[in-house]
Amino acid sequence: MSAAFAYALAAIIALSLLGLPVGHAMIAGSILYLHVKGLDMGTAAEQLLNGMYTSYVLLAIPLFILAAEFMNSGSIMDRLLRFCNALVGRFRGGLAQVNVLQSIVFASMSGSALADAAGSGKIMQTLMTRDGKYTAAFAAALTAASSVIGPIIPPSIPLVLYALVSDTSIGFLFLAGVVPGILLGLVQMGLIAVTAKRRNFPVEERVPLRELPRITREAFPALMMPVILLGCLYSGITTPTEAAAAAAAYALLISAFLYRSLSWGDIYQSLARSARITISIGMLIAGALVFNYVVTAENIPKTLAAFLKAYELSPIAFLVVVNLLLLALGCFLEGTTILLIIIPVLLPTAQALGIDPVHFGVMAVMNIMIGLVTPPYGLLLFMMVKIAEVPLNAIVREVLPFLAVMIAALALITFVPDLVLFLPRLLGYKG
Amino acid sequence: MAEGDAGEDQRAEVMRGGWAEAAAWLRRRAENIAAGMLAVMFVAFVLQIVFRYFLNFPVGWTSELTVVLWLWLVLWGAAFVVRESEEIRFDLLTASVGRRARIAMGILVALALVVLYGASLKASFDYVTFMKVEKSSYLKIRMDWLFSIYLVFLIAVIVRYVRLLWHLVRGRDPGAADLTKASSGL
Repeated sequence: MSAAFAYALAAIIALSLLGLPVGHAMIAGSILYLHVKGLDMGTAAEQLLNGMYTSYVLLAIPLFILAAEFMNSGSIMDRLLRFCNALVGRFRGGLAQVNVLQSIVFASMSGSALADAAGSGKIMQTLMTRDGKYTAAFAAALTAASSVIGPIIPPSIPLVLYALVSDTSIGFLFLAGVVPGILLGLVQMGLIAVTAKRRNFPVEERVPLRELPRITREAFPALMMPVILLGCLYSGITTPTEAAAAAAAYALLISAFLYRSLSWGDIYQSLARSARITISIGMLIAGALVFNYVVTAENIPKTLAAFLKAYELSPIAFLVVVNLLLLALGCFLEGTTILLIIIPVLLPTAQALGIDPVHFGVMAVMNIMIGLVTPPYGLLLFMMVKIAEVPLNAIVREVLPFLAVMIAALALITFVPDLVLFLPRLLGYKG
Repeated sequence: MAEGDAGEDQRAEVMRGGWAEAAAWLRRRAENIAAGMLAVMFVAFVLQIVFRYFLNFPVGWTSELTVVLWLWLVLWGAAFVVRESEEIRFDLLTASVGRRARIAMGILVALALVVLYGASLKASFDYVTFMKVEKSSYLKIRMDWLFSIYLVFLIAVIVRYVRLLWHLVRGRDPGAADLTKASSGL
């Protein structure tokens, strides 16, 4: 590691701590590195432009964001929530169970946890706290925790980013996310079932079984969206990026024409909102592309791999260390930054230890997403403070049990790779 | 993502008079263009799928168009659409200090960015203009034109931070991001 690299790293950390947007901080720090090293400062431009221009797979990100925006209309949400309620509302703590189930359903249409919390999560918060059924803090903690499922179950923006930095197939990564995502949902539902008895949570009015076919029929076109997406992906009809476009097109078709819940104005708003989110994530990617050039030029990943190898870490020990490291970093760093900067540094070591890259990716993403509800710096917690208007410490107290079961699920995923890999292997993954 | 209303209030304060109205108008048009780029990207993808799988007539220009739009959307947006308060950043520290400290931190950051981006301007210009020797593979557009958005981005960001610097030096609080409200519980 050269002095120039130390300067660059210090500059990036200092600038972002002082409030500079992280993308700009990474570009500025890299420019400093090039200057100190006496290299051509145009390299920053070259890395950014060529990196963005050749990473075709990243185009899936704006399209997934757009698809989720199209699906976010009131009418579609109502139908899906009615469907979830008909299935699990009858149990004790019914609405809490609905909250988890709807997260799983919406997870299969959107790739971002924050989008899920702001969209359907917001509605669940209102439903749960109406008539004082649940405390606002519990509802907010649950909504934050259940939103974590969003980016684990495909589609997933973090997994697309991981595919970029690791050169792994998006299709297999998406398949690998299915079981861990559902597992997260199950542990949460289990926790609710236990808590519901103890705290005497209310039961929702039982929806008669004969109404189930009608409710399912009404929600059916929306429920088909993940089928369209995964169908396109695994039949080999389209590339992953095209599958994202097909999903967005399907979402537009059903919400604009079938459900008639999108006006021209709404479509424009969806486009503008998606564009803004794309720009924010895109700047972070741009910064990471430039900074990763510096990291690679300094040979950091290989040096680390050699260093760790000297310790003769077993793969399991390495995974445990990585999990602890990521959970700690997740308390302070934004998830996308961890994925784009820290993961590429760890990957060569993982590979040298014979850890499957798909397993590693899903585990890392799950960990980073759990970081979204880890105090003190959990973006989902902050979001719920805003939505639910409850103090952060009240939410934190309620979220701790959920955090505990989610970390248990993460441990299970870490130690039993087959849970992650059996689905991709079923569809031809050789790993 | 720190998207906040803190910037809104501050802007209402800053934006007075015709000059400010013009700036707000331009920002809205910049957003129209960004939304338009995303719309074209989406339509191009749909066309690509339709041409290849339904009409059995694969086209290459769509994938080139979409990737150009992706590059332009991000850099155009970062230059003209997204406000500082909306960008992804670490704001735990800025949210927890007082007004004077925040102004000092703002000045330091803006100065560093202006100096570093400014220092790379000449070399970036050289790189982009050097790319005139290459053309894109399908649409045959000169690469220096496609990559020129980076220079636009660089200059726009420098101008924005010089302006921010000006406000900060005159003692205007950049405003803590949303987390002031959020971290009150900690």
